[in-house]
Parts: sequence; structure tokens; C-alpha cells
Amino acid sequence: MANKIMYFFAASLVLGAGCKAPDATDLPQQLKIVCTTGMIADAVANIAGAEASVTALMGPGVDPHLYKASQGDLQLLSQADLIFYNGLHLEGKMSEILEKIGRTRPVIAVSDGISEDRLLKLANVGDAHDPHIWFDVALWSKAVAHIGASLERQDTAHADGYRARTAGYLDSLLQLDDWVRGQLASIPPEQRVLITAHDAFSYFGRAYGVEVRGLQGISTVSEYGLKDVSDLVEFISGRRINAVFVESSVPVKSLEAVVEGCQKRGHQVRIGGMLYSDAMGAAGAPEGAYLGMVRANVRTIVHALKGMDHAEDSH
Amino acid sequence: MDAFWIILTGTLVALCCGLLGTFLVLRQMAMVGDAISHAVLPGIVVAYLLAESRDSLPMLVGAATVGVLATILIEWLHRVGRMQTDASIGLSYTTLFAIGIILISLFTRQVDLDQDCVLYGEIAYVPLDLWIPADGLSLGPRPVWILGGALLLILSFIGIGYKGLQLTTFDPSYAATLGVSTVFWHYALMSTVSLATVVSFESVGAILVVAFLIVPPATAYLLTDRLPAMLGLTALFGFLSAVLGYGMAVATNGSVAGAMAVAGGIWFVLALGIRFFKKKIISIIRT
Repeated sequence: MANKIMYFFAASLVLGAGCKAPDATDLPQQLKIVCTTGMIADAVANIAGAEASVTALMGPGVDPHLYKASQGDLQLLSQADLIFYNGLHLEGKMSEILEKIGRTRPVIAVSDGISEDRLLKLANVGDAHDPHIWFDVALWSKAVAHIGASLERQDTAHADGYRARTAGYLDSLLQLDDWVRGQLASIPPEQRVLITAHDAFSYFGRAYGVEVRGLQGISTVSEYGLKDVSDLVEFISGRRINAVFVESSVPVKSLEAVVEGCQKRGHQVRIGGMLYSDAMGAAGAPEGAYLGMVRANVRTIVHALKGMDHAEDSH
Repeated sequence: MDAFWIILTGTLVALCCGLLGTFLVLRQMAMVGDAISHAVLPGIVVAYLLAESRDSLPMLVGAATVGVLATILIEWLHRVGRMQTDASIGLSYTTLFAIGIILISLFTRQVDLDQDCVLYGEIAYVPLDLWIPADGLSLGPRPVWILGGALLLILSFIGIGYKGLQLTTFDPSYAATLGVSTVFWHYALMSTVSLATVVSFESVGAILVVAFLIVPPATAYLLTDRLPAMLGLTALFGFLSAVLGYGMAVATNGSVAGAMAVAGGIWFVLALGIRFFKKKIISIIRT
């Protein structure tokens, strides 16, 4: 038995040693930047251009609440020259680790670019703010500007390029903001209500004059109560709202109860489509980039709330 | 160096949990670790309401307090309520977890507050979680210090209380005739388990802790029925699980905690095989 154990011990050591990931053969002057979410990585990649290699820890469809680190993520973080994260506790307990890395290398919370009075305070307890800052495009621009300024400061040799590309990207964000405002304005005001399963769209609602109602709190553990469902049914039937929305990361079941409840009260409400909330779409698809993701969400919302047929819009 | 810290952390967790887990497995209370992982929720919520922050320290204090409370409740229901241990474990942790959910929906439903996002650590990030005091010199990963301290406590607890733990585990009625208090040793063991698991959750997350509480002791139990040998083998299998698990995590670029827990399972299956063939060979020789 002892032999057997020694054999496996040795084998596992060999296994461990033989599989060390080879060092990336990037150009030495290229910055290695690691971002937590896809939204941040997209902004950083747009600003950094060819000056840096950008990686997101939480890929398409990964809910930050459920993200688990792999061995490769450790390598990415320990080899990164620069790290960007969302902050406001979106990354949960990982933010403490990121702050610690910040003592030896630049680690930047993009939400630091937004002044605290623009942030939505959660509940009446503690220091908690809503972390879903990217759905108000103007607010996100502040975070993007912060990313640009940080890159300029960290890599002064290429500062001019960063400044130019930041300006360009901020420009497209400004256009996007206008477009979103215009699109949502086309929905009759009394119909401008966004109902989702969990509260990720508060900034969106504040920025574009959309009333936001969620069934569930932000935490995935908190469950909705029976009264939450009946209140929501009452609200939807009363206001004759056309559609409710599901998110990629939240089970559809909870909202189906609401839809059924409305039907019993003689009001037809549909599941208006899936919204990207905490993560973007697959890389390569238009929804895999920030601009495309916001457009896809807004298109889904506008079509459904105006009562258009959603089938023509399915991606 | 990253590999060294991760394997060291895994081994420390394996030792902390495995040595205590040995007594839990022998007392048929192995699921207590899983129960504590759920039961700490109300502690987290109350700690947040009092401290108004999601920093590690208040979360840890809240979780540890309710963790100890949960084990006391389990023991009390078992002893006074005359419930079987599995039923008292099930009753205690579901009730406490449910209280946590109610507290969240009453007071903090807007806040992202659950074990996963405020308490559970991530073993893959241990090498980054450095303890750097004011003078700026790195003293190595913080979890290694915390778990090392916990291990020292656990070793001295088992060292000092060995006789009492052994007697009350194997023969409570004999212990009673000797004047050894089973109640005292139960509560002492369970409180230690509770503190050790909560501290380990904070360093490496839940799955690894629950696995190391049960799997290495269960593996050792297949190969021996003597307590000192079982403790020794538990420590050995815990260490081997950390090493093999890390190797598997690197090879697959997967979750380190998951791979270490699976590695524990692999050693268990091997031990099962050894036991099976040993029995066969003995019976062949005898016939």
C-alpha cells in the first residue's frame, strides 16, 4: 500500500509540474490588463487599442455573483500589469483580494470615476450602493473616462493615443445615450415600466425615465414573497402593461407565476424577451460588446412594451 | 511559489478539518460542517445590520457566533429533545438558514448579502491575499497565518482533551461511570468544529471544508479502526488530496477547491479497493 501511495504522490507531482502554463510570449512593451467583467474589458480594449492585451475574468454569460476562480485566473491576476474592476461590491469578496493586489500594482475600480452622489444607495443600512452602473450610458461614460485617465497615467509613453481613443469611445457612448433616450421616449409614458426578476436596472430607469419594478432583491439568496407576486400582478393588470422581462442569469419561473396571475385577472402580459444584465453576450456577436448589448436590451424593451410582435426581433 | 502556498493552504485546511472530522465521523455527525455552512446566514445578516459594512471581520464574527450557536442547538435538540443526530442537524440548520432568509427579505433585500459573496474565500487567490504589516514587508498569505493558528489551537485541543474525546466518542456510558462529562466534551468538540469551519470557509470556501471534514476521515476509517492511526491516515490523505487536487486543477485549468475535493474522493475509492482486495485475499488464504 505504501508503494501505491508513493506512486500516486509522485505521479501527481509530475502532473502538477508538467502542466505549468507557459509564459505568454507577448511583446514586452505590451501591457497585460485584466478586467473582471466583460463590460469593463470592452471599454479597456477600445481605449487601449494595440497597446495592451486585455482579458476578462468573467466571460460571456458569467454571473458575477456565481463566478468561481480557476487556476488560470490566478496566473492572469498575478501577471497583470494593470487590473480594472467594477467595485461597489459587484465582485463580492474578491474585491478584498483586488484591493490587496493594489498595494503592489495598479488596481483600479472603475466606479471610482463616478461621484458618490450619482450612485444609488441601497436600503437604509450600511455603505452599500447599487453596483449595476453600466446601464445608464451617461453614468458609464464617467467610468470609461476614469479608465482612460488611469491608462494615461500608468503608461505615459502612449498617453496621446489613449486620450484620442477615449474621446472617440466617449463620443460613441454619447450617441448611444441619445439613441437610447429617443427609443424609450417612443414608448407611451404610462407604458414605460420595466419589470424584471431582480433589481439590476435601477440606474437605467433613473436615467431614461423608466419605472423599474423587480420581483426579487439584488441578492440571489433572498426569495420573493407571495405578497411580492400578488402586488406585482395587481400593478401590471392595473396599468395594462404589455410585457415583463427575464434576465440571462435569473430563472424564468418566478416571472411565469406573475404572467399566470395576470391572465387569471384577465390581463394578457407576455414575457417580453431576455435582457442582458450582469454579463454580455457571446464574444463576436454584436451583444458581445457593450454598445451592442445596450442596443439589444433597448430594442427588446421597446418592441415588447409597445406590444409589437417579438418574433421579428429574435436574435 | 503560488503552487506552494495553495498546496500549503489546502493541507492546513485538510488538517484542521480532517482531525476534527475524524471525531465527527466516529460520532455519526459528519454533516455538521455542511449544516454550519448554511446556518451562518442569520449571523452574516445581523453582523451587517450592526456593523453596516460587508468587510471580512464583522462577517467572520457574525458567522462564527451563529456557527457555535448552531452546534449548541444541534446538541441540545439531540440531548434534551431526544432527537436523532441527523434529524437535529437537519432541523437546526434549516431553521437558522430560513431565519437568515427572512431577515434578508425584511431588512436588506436590496443588498447583495449571502455566504458566497461576503464570507466564502477562494483558495486559488490565496497567494494574492498577502499580509503586509505597516513596515511593508510581506509575511506571506494571510489565510496561511489564520489557518496555521487554527491548526495549533485544534492540535492543542485534541492533545489536551485526547482522553476525554476518545472515551466520550467510543463509550459514553463507560465515560460517565469514570466521571468524564460527555456533555462537556460534546460541546467543546462542536464549538471547536464550528470555529474551525467558519475560519476555513473565510479562507477557502465551503466545498473544500465540507469535503475535508468528511472524506479523509472516512478514507482512513476504511483502513484502520484504531484512533491514533485514523488521525494519522486522515492527515496523510488530506495532504495527498491537496497535492493531487492542485495537480488536477493545473492540468484542467479548473477550480482548485473542486479539484481538491475530487482528489479526496479518488483516494477514498482507492482505499475502498485496497480494503476490498485485502478481504478477498484473506478469505482465499483461509479457504
